[in-house]
Formats: sequence, C-alpha cells, structure tokens
Amino acid sequence: MLEFLSAHAVDLAVGAVVIALAVLATVKIVRDKKRGKNSCGGSCGGGCEGCPMHGKCH
Amino acid sequence: MGVTIALAGNPNCGKTTMFNSLTGSIQRVGNWPGVTVEKKEGHLKGDKEIVIQDLPGIYSLSPYTLEEVVSRNYLINEKPDAILNIVDATNLERNLYLTTQLIEIGLPMVVALNMMDVVNKNGDKIDPKKLGEALGCQVVETSALKGTGCKEAAQLAAKKAQSGEKPVLPHVFRGTVEHAIAHIEESIQDKVDPQRLRWYAVKLFERDEKVQATLQLDEETRAHIEEHIAECEQELDDDAESIITNERYAYISRIIHTCYKKAKKPGSLSVSDKIDRVVTNKWAALPIFAAVMFVVYYVSVTTIGTIVTDFTNDTFVAAWIQEPLQNWLTGLGTAPWLVGLLCDGIVGGVGAVIGFIPQMVVLFFFLAILEDIGYMARVAFIMDRIFRKFGLSGKSFIPMLIGTGCGVPGVMASRTIESERDRRMTIITTTFIPCSAKMPIVALMAGAIFGGAWWVAPSAYFIGVAAIVISGIMLKKTKRFAGDPAPFVMELPAYHLPSGKNVLHSVWERAKSFFRKAGTIILLSSILIWFLSSFGVVDGAFVMVEDMNLSILAVVGTALAFLFVPLGFGSWQAAVATIMGLVAKEEVVGVFGVLFGISGDALELVESGAFNELAPIAAAFTLLGAFSFLVFNLLCAPCFAAIGAIKREMNNAKWTLFAVGYQCGFAYLCSLIIYQLGSLFTGGGFTVWTAVAFLGLAFLLYMLFRKNKYDENHLTVLKGVQA
Repeated sequence: MLEFLSAHAVDLAVGAVVIALAVLATVKIVRDKKRGKNSCGGSCGGGCEGCPMHGKCH
Repeated sequence: MGVTIALAGNPNCGKTTMFNSLTGSIQRVGNWPGVTVEKKEGHLKGDKEIVIQDLPGIYSLSPYTLEEVVSRNYLINEKPDAILNIVDATNLERNLYLTTQLIEIGLPMVVALNMMDVVNKNGDKIDPKKLGEALGCQVVETSALKGTGCKEAAQLAAKKAQSGEKPVLPHVFRGTVEHAIAHIEESIQDKVDPQRLRWYAVKLFERDEKVQATLQLDEETRAHIEEHIAECEQELDDDAESIITNERYAYISRIIHTCYKKAKKPGSLSVSDKIDRVVTNKWAALPIFAAVMFVVYYVSVTTIGTIVTDFTNDTFVAAWIQEPLQNWLTGLGTAPWLVGLLCDGIVGGVGAVIGFIPQMVVLFFFLAILEDIGYMARVAFIMDRIFRKFGLSGKSFIPMLIGTGCGVPGVMASRTIESERDRRMTIITTTFIPCSAKMPIVALMAGAIFGGAWWVAPSAYFIGVAAIVISGIMLKKTKRFAGDPAPFVMELPAYHLPSGKNVLHSVWERAKSFFRKAGTIILLSSILIWFLSSFGVVDGAFVMVEDMNLSILAVVGTALAFLFVPLGFGSWQAAVATIMGLVAKEEVVGVFGVLFGISGDALELVESGAFNELAPIAAAFTLLGAFSFLVFNLLCAPCFAAIGAIKREMNNAKWTLFAVGYQCGFAYLCSLIIYQLGSLFTGGGFTVWTAVAFLGLAFLLYMLFRKNKYDENHLTVLKGVQA
C-alpha cells in the first residue's frame, strides 16, 4: 500500500486537484441554481424571484 | 427600526442609476426605457437600516402594463414606509403626471428632481421650494449620474417615514370632478385604508376594473358611484379616464407656470434634436445603423479584438500556461493521461473560451457606449418602422438589444410587451440575435476558417436581424400570431457623453459571465469531453485510446453526425460541438479546444493560412460547410439557461416546445439551403438534398409572400364584398 502511494504520490496529488476543481465547479453551479442565479453572470435575474407579481402575472 | 423606501418614477428617469448610487449595487443601467422589469432591493450605503427598493419605470398607476401592475401592487399592498419619487427634471411636465398619482397613495414622500445638472447646463430654472409647496411634499435637487443629492434625498425620505409625515394632498381636481370624487370617498371610507382613500376614489372614478374587483362593493354603492361618474361625464362631455388625465395635466401646467423657466424659446431645437434629424432620418437611419453595427463588429472581432485575442491564445494560454504546466507535470513524473486531462482537457477547453474574452470585451465596450449615449434607444425607434412592416413592434427590439449580452435577460425583457401573441413571437425570435456566448464561435470561424475575412463577424449580426424579420413575416401570417403589432410609444432620451462608470460596469457584467462559465460549466464539460474523447472500447476492452476516432465521443458523435451531413458539417467533432452548444454556446469552442487543441500553436497555423495542411480543424470543414455550421449554431435553440427562460416566460410546455422546435427547424432549413445551393452553384452535383433544399426555399418564399388571410384590412374588404 505504502509502496503504491509513494510510487503514485504525484498522480494522486494532481488527481486530487482535478477532483477538487470539479467538485468546486459543481458546488458553485448547484448553489447558483438554488439562489436563482443563471449562468449569464447573475445580474440578469433568471426568474420571478423577488418580483411582487411572482406567480400571478403569467 | 428598519425603513423601506421605494424608488418610483418614469422609465429612464435614472432610478436604477440612483439605486446603484444609494446602495453601491451594480444593477444593469441602460439609456433606454424598460431596463428594470422586476423590483430590486438593496441597503443604503452607510445605513443598513434603510432598505431601498427599485421599481420598474412607469408612466402612471393605470393597470395596463405589467410594470405598472407590479409597481402599483407593491406600493398599495406591500406598503413601503416612504416613496422617493425620481422626477426627470428635463421633462418635468410628463414626469409630474405620475407624481400627482403617487401623492394620492398617502405614503410619506420626497420628490428627487433628478438630472438637475442637465437642467442647469441648459440654462433652465426650476424653483424646488415652490414646486414642493405646490405638490405638498419636499423636493430635493439631485443628479444620480454624478451622485449629488441622492443620499440626502434618501435620508430625508427615511426621516419622513420615521416621523410619519404624509404629503398634503394638492388640489388637483376642480369643480364637478372634485365633487364626484368626494362623494365616492364618502361611499367607500369605511371599506378602505384611510391613507389610500383618495387613490381608491380616483381609481373608482376611472372605472379601474382591478380596483373594482379588489373592493367588491355592493350593488347599491356601485350604482351610487356610477351615478356620480355619469353626471360628471355628461357635464364635461368626456369619458371618466380622460377627465382625470386632463385634470392632472391642467394642474401640472398651472404649477409649472409658477416654478419653471425655460431658457430657450419654445420650438428651438436642442443638440439631441439636431442629431436625431440625421440619425433617425427616414432614408438615412437604416444605412447609418447598418454602418455603425458593421464597424462595431468588424473592429471588435476582426481588427483590434484579433490582435488582443492572438496574444491571449498564443502567448497567455499556450506559452505561459499550457506549455509550462505540461513541462512541469511531466518533470514531476505525472502519468501522461493526467497531464493530458489537465493540459489538453481543462486548460485546452477553458483556455479556448477565455482566449476569446478580449474580442468580446472590445465588442461589449462599443455596445455599452452606443447604449449609454442613447443611440440604441433610437435604433428601437428606427427598427419599429421596419419591424412594423413585418408584423413586429419596435418594443420587440428592446429584448433583442438586451439579448446581444445574454439571451436570458433578453427573453425576460419581453415582459414589457402587452400583446400576448407579440410577446410569444418576440420570445421565439429574440435568441436569433447573436448573444455574447455565440460570438466566440463567430470569432473562431472568422479567424480560423475564413482567414479573418472582414464580412464574417458583421454578417453574424445581420443574419440574426434577418432571421427575426423573416420569422416575423412568416409567423404573422399564421392564425396564432395574426393581428396588428402593438403600438410602440417610447421616449427618446437626450444624448449624453458616455459615463465611464456605466460603460465599464456594463462591460464587466458581460465579461464576468464568461469567467463564471469558464470556471464552472465549461470546466466540467471540458473534463467530460476529454474523458469521452480519450477512452473507448477497443477489442472488447475499455482502454485509453490514442486514436480519437476510436473514442466513446467519436462513437456517439458519429451516430448523430448523419443529421448534419446534409448541412455540410457531418464530422463527429462538429456534431458533438453543436450538441454541447446546448449546455453553453461557448462550449462549441471549448469542444474544439479539447478535440483540436486550437488554443495553442494550431490556431496560429490556422490563422497564418496554413490550415489546409496543418490544422486538424480544417479537415472537419469546407468553407461552405463552416459557414453553414456558423449559421446553424447562431440560429438553433439557445443554451439550456435560455431555454429555461423561454419556458418560464411562455409558462406553457407546448409553446416552449414550439419555440425550440421552430428555432431548430428554421436553423436547419437555412443551413441546408445555404450549403446545398452553395454547393450546387460552386460546382457540386445535384443530389436528393439539393432537391430538398429547393423545396425548403420554395416553402420559405411561399410563407413570406403568400397573402395574409388574417390581415384585418383584408378581412374588411372580404366582408364588404359579402355584404
């Protein structure tokens, strides 16, 4: 086991970085979606949240 | 105790600019009416207890447009603690029309006389003290653009809210009208909030159906009220709504006479008027617009933008990041597949998108300047003349204007269109205008395939406009969309020098989306694309493949590629890029980044004209096929985020499916015609698909030029004949 770890330490470290990047990106997407933000930069709203006519006008 | 202040005012009077100035927020600001379609909230800088609420711009509190309904429902039902009424001081008469209505709501109110810097510059004089006395509330001079007086106005409104000081109702109505309203007040005084008694009474006088429905008055009271209204109408020989409007304007005219002095003689032309005589001229307007947009797209994508993009692609991404990272990882003894994943997958995919940001920034910069100086508002006016001929209203141009940044707010901006059928048609066609995410595809094709040809980038914009016009003509001749376009009334704002803050904010807002997507969806997609293009099943075993044609992605792409063979881009790479474009349009370039490695030296070779022999991307496209690919990706269904916005705005699964189906079908037909007929006329043979393309062209021409049997004038003639 230790032999394997020492032989592949660099691969494991680089792999961990890649996985961390993917996880962070996924968390960011999910969090933005929950907040009602779109991928367009966030300032464009993306829904009726915050609108007093939410669910009434259309 | 917290205080909520609502910012209310006419469209384009500077509410959002003031909101940003007060809260330190960075909401989108535009020099055209209709930028804000929903309310936005923020805290006053330096005083978290004061909440500032930005409302959509409205001309009145009538129930005719969605913005008016949103604003008045908020003011009446949610009852903010105070109103800060932003008044465009350069257009006092029209702006005070809303002020007279806001006062009737009975909430503590302060009037912010905005754009006073422009008034002073013009040499006009407004006496805020006299105006305040006439309106019954305090008036503060402000300039939201320069940030002067804004905080004082907000703090004064907060003070009024805390003290509960309400405006003194001015004597807007006279004689029989006041008499009738007083009687209505008497009839309903025990049924409504005493603060809003005058507002409800005036609305009942106007026969406002929404207020009538809310109050649910008994038959006897309704008859009593109706009697007073009818008497008044008879005496003044006008309908109730017009009577109220006339009374308000008569009152405004009286008070303006006492507190406003104009420096210029009435009828003299301002600088804006003189510019408008040229840029909105009947004959010159369209050529000027075409020339302006041509220059903007040509300079952004082909000249200045390319120079900066070349540096970002070749030096920043390839030489400064990709190569050193590859050397470093290899030196550390990292497994080759991991080096491939990081350098070719992640850096290649994300870098391909980031590489185009400079071009986009230059484009956004020019578009932001055009918006901020007020030219784009004129374009809506110019386009109204053209759109109207094809069944669309100039109102449809505002969503398209916003759509050049991103399709999502573009689709949302269609809310300002009252007519349901026009709104649906605008939602369907808005995303034909190339959004910023589609521009990297244009830039890639222009640079890599067409050797930087001058016409490619501007043509992308004009293809979008043409698709909207053609769709407008075709759809208006169908039962679901038939009918006259909605009237378009829009105030043209005065030209002003661009504000550096507004322009930079607009550029940053748009560029930010690229970075946001590059770090999230593009990164994940690049990893997925790299994985699918690096692994495959060979001899029954799942292994890493050296030949990408044996990969899982190649198998999936090949299975889908048959769909695009008639369009001239039947390679599996192009098919995968097109499908991945649904995730985010930038991903089209991202896929090429991973599959062809275009962000590195290959792009340099491609741009140097040596792509025929050296760049793998050249093998996937012919010139005609590349143009067909470009047209298809510009016109087909937008990304999932925009499709989601379409679904929300349509609020109907069938209409959403129709919108997406129409966009894909229209894009397919256009690309088919371009590629097949292009091939025929450039020496290709006549195939079954050429025949299909001719049939498609005939169908388009028939739909464009057939008689509109739903045209109301046409129906009138038919009825006349029958009679």
